[in-house]
Amino acid sequence: MDISELLLQAGNLMLVGMVSVFLFLGLLVLVVQSVAKLVPADELPVASNKPTTQAPAAQASNQVNPKLIAAISTAVQQYRNNN
Amino acid sequence: MDGLITLWHDTGIYHFEWKQLVMMAVGALLLFLAIVKKFEPLLLLPIGFGAILANIPNAGFTDPGGILYYIYEIGIGSTVFPLLIFMGVGAMTDFGALIANPKMLFLGAAAQFGIFATLFGAIALNLIPGFEFTLQDASAIAIIGGADGPTAIFLASKLAPDLLGAIAVAAYSYMALVPLIQPPIMRALTSEKERAIQMEQLRPVSKAEKILFPLLVLFACILFLPSATPLVGMFCLGNLMRESGVVDRLSGAAQNEIINTVTIFLGLAVGSKLSAEAFLSVETLGILALGAVAFSVGTGSGVMMAKVMSRLSGGKVNPLLGAAGVSAVPMAARVVNKVGLESNPQNFLLMHAMGPNVAGVLGSAVAAGVLLALVG
Repeated sequence: MDISELLLQAGNLMLVGMVSVFLFLGLLVLVVQSVAKLVPADELPVASNKPTTQAPAAQASNQVNPKLIAAISTAVQQYRNNN
Repeated sequence: MDGLITLWHDTGIYHFEWKQLVMMAVGALLLFLAIVKKFEPLLLLPIGFGAILANIPNAGFTDPGGILYYIYEIGIGSTVFPLLIFMGVGAMTDFGALIANPKMLFLGAAAQFGIFATLFGAIALNLIPGFEFTLQDASAIAIIGGADGPTAIFLASKLAPDLLGAIAVAAYSYMALVPLIQPPIMRALTSEKERAIQMEQLRPVSKAEKILFPLLVLFACILFLPSATPLVGMFCLGNLMRESGVVDRLSGAAQNEIINTVTIFLGLAVGSKLSAEAFLSVETLGILALGAVAFSVGTGSGVMMAKVMSRLSGGKVNPLLGAAGVSAVPMAARVVNKVGLESNPQNFLLMHAMGPNVAGVLGSAVAAGVLLALVG
């Protein structure tokens, strides 16, 4: 086959290929987004069932010593740097 | 005396041709890369050993009746092995990061430009005397840009079995080289400020969403791209076994025993294709060069797409994430994390990069399906 014809086919394939990959994955984006709206989240019922336990927990987390948080985050960072 | 001569005629030394020796050296090089350099050792060790076995004179490993012949025909000729590996990869993949931020699928799509640009490049190589790639050959070579071993082997076994050895070796070698290939491209295409962008924490994803995801991907594939269903179907089966939570034993088998067993034989079968006649040609050099182009272009197009998304979102997307769109799970995501940390020590992009990373796996499977439908 003539090379210019092959090149034309390859160019055509590039165009069709990229468009179809984008369309297909774009469709998946829409599907996943709509599923996220339709399906209730796992955490929600837990949170609504125990509003009383969550509030103190949130307060407690505010009272954690900022030095402790700093120490933990540097430890985590060091661990991740080593890996 | 006659007996001695017969014995001498039966030795390896008597029958060696220089090409076989060169191929054994290639096999030894792969073993060196696997054992000393730790380049994808799970694959390159059996591939390298397979290459040595396949080039033993008079042993007939790759002739009908030889063990490598059967392993190849049963496993790769039938496409069973790459599909079993894909099932295992599905069982190992957590789509949580992608479901939490589905727009990352666009990065997985953009990075596939590496595949299609390479296809064009492979055909353009025909302008140089000595290269005669058909459209099928070019497609099989281009899929190296998908940075996904089983997908590359699957497509090559269907479109260009003669080139399979070189394609698989190129795919796995470049996957091992991702930490060297990607960072310079990523740094060249982004500014320091862009690399320092911190991403919002991902929302938690419900179990129901994770279970529905593989089913919906399969359904979309059935409707629009049936040619990709062998790859995507096995992948989704593995992922459903993982996420459903009711067949932990099967999921465990797919992730461990099955994928490990298959990997041994997949490597040997690929190695059996590294025969002197098929590998020692100028086309192999072309394939190695095109593979590097494929990886680089894929990384670049992913980063450019991520830059566009970053602008559109008002600077909420770190453009480095685009580089993870070339699959090569999880190496590419780790590279993104590392380059991100260089610009901003507080910026942990690993979880965010897993989204485009697994999107890249889907993207390359889809691209393989498209190529199969159009040129297969």
